[in-house]
Amino acid sequence: MSGAVRRFDVAVIGGGSAGLAASITAARQGARTVLLERQGSAGGMGTAALVHSFCGLYLLRQEPGAVLANPGFCGEIERRMIEATGMGPQRFGRVDVLPQHPVEFARIADGMLAAESGLETRFHTVVTGVEREADGWRIDLADGGRMFCKALVDASGDAVVAGWLGGGFAVAPAAVLQRPAYVFGVRCGAVLDDAGRLRVSGLLVEGLRAGALPSAAMGLSFRASGRPGEVFGSVDLTGGVDGAEFDPLDPACLTALETTGRRVAHEAVRHLAERDPEWMGAYVSHWPARAGIRESRRWIGEHVLTGDEVTAGATFEDQIALATWPMEMRETARGPKLRFPVDDRPCGIPLRCLKPAGLERLWVAGRCISTDHEAQASTRVMGTCFATGEAAGREAAKVADA
Amino acid sequence: MASSKKLSPNPTELIDWMNGEGLLELDWDFPEDGDLFAAGLDSMAVMQLVVAVEDEYGVELTPEDLTKEALATPTTLAALIAGKMS
Ligand SMILES: Cc1cc2nc3c(=O)[nH]c(=O)nc-3n(C[C@H](O)[C@H](O)[C@H](O)COP(=O)(O)OP(=O)(O)OC[C@H]3O[C@@H](n4cnc5c(N)ncnc54)[C@H](O)[C@@H]3O)c2cc1C
Repeated sequence: MSGAVRRFDVAVIGGGSAGLAASITAARQGARTVLLERQGSAGGMGTAALVHSFCGLYLLRQEPGAVLANPGFCGEIERRMIEATGMGPQRFGRVDVLPQHPVEFARIADGMLAAESGLETRFHTVVTGVEREADGWRIDLADGGRMFCKALVDASGDAVVAGWLGGGFAVAPAAVLQRPAYVFGVRCGAVLDDAGRLRVSGLLVEGLRAGALPSAAMGLSFRASGRPGEVFGSVDLTGGVDGAEFDPLDPACLTALETTGRRVAHEAVRHLAERDPEWMGAYVSHWPARAGIRESRRWIGEHVLTGDEVTAGATFEDQIALATWPMEMRETARGPKLRFPVDDRPCGIPLRCLKPAGLERLWVAGRCISTDHEAQASTRVMGTCFATGEAAGREAAKVADA
Repeated sequence: MASSKKLSPNPTELIDWMNGEGLLELDWDFPEDGDLFAAGLDSMAVMQLVVAVEDEYGVELTPEDLTKEALATPTTLAALIAGKMS
């Protein structure tokens, strides 16, 4: 699309949980806002990659009952999701989690985006670059179009703006990057209670032993979606032969994740359908639009939140949100290792983590805010992404208004 | 058979071994009758456990062996492995 350059107060790159919150919040402050998203829906990993629970919404606490850590946008999403699924927060061990359904999430996001008159949503819009100009940013689009905004929010998950500017970011070594996973939907009548899940584990190992399943099936787990007859499967993947080649920004590597994920899912579901009476007739009903990436580039901001600060439950004068999810290490494809903070304390996220160092009129939100590798294992969850998105949208609108 | 040289494990050895294999992260004072599921033994860890038990103790746990009761604690797990070794 060519023609006149469109001008906005605030532009948000990426409509995942962070960009959704950022764009809606900016528009509510009165900023003329545009949300630019390459997929056909908002929600990011929570829709396109079928990640199906909101973590980090609630405080860690011993007492029963889930308490929102960051009321505001999180509270709105929570209410709408509970209304849609009929399921409230659930406690697993020491954490409270809200089950979410990607199908509902995309629809809820549509409704919330459409309700803001000052907000233009543009799906199927790939941003290819940005250029700093006198009083804002020029944005280049894959279709050749250009836009201009007074304040920019990078909610791309991958810190794409840092990539284009050629610096100001960090990436963990490939061998320790949090591993990716492939999530898919299954139509299946099995009851996934404890006994059902253990039987699945046993049958999968049998298949692996017999050479009937690829070794990546060791990373498989299944969880009920909350809808009758529907189950989500997840395959944790190494991202390469031994994980050392994993590059979440390399399309060749991502391609291998997609094809491996589909192959493992297909073969495992067929294997179970042939051997477990409860799985008889089961089939893969839903591929994700993309494999799930937990960690890639992280911005280096005016403050870099550290794992030690998360462990200690640090507080900051300029904190804009609380991180409450334990650091969920996924450095191998062998399942999570949780690192809890001292006394279940929440950790403040300072506004400085949303401000790339030395760059004006630019904010960052979501899983690529300025943290180290360990702290990101807490701040990447969607509950926290909503909260950092909300703060980034508010700040961006202020600058655009000045 | 290599497995015949292995002695069946006692619960405390199992705790050390599971930590060493990276199957679970159990505290040094994790009780022998502590709840393994509460300690993180999820379905993926169960698969790894089955493979690791086969490597270490030379016994094949079948889907029928994998009950919530048998895997509940280091004590019940040790009994399960010992039963399969004899
Ligand atoms: C397998 C897996 C399981 C997880 N489990 C959980 C869980 O149970 N609970 C939980 O809370 N969190 C979980 N997470 C983490 C969480 O899902 C993500 O970290 C979070 O969704 C990131 O949100 P975001 O908005 O920062 O980025 P994303 O959700 O990645 O959104 C970024 C958006 O930007 C768009 N974009 C990127 N570049 C461009 C561009 N150039 N032009 C246009 N658009 C662009 C993308 O299409 C995408 O929609 C999981 C993650 C994975 C991968």
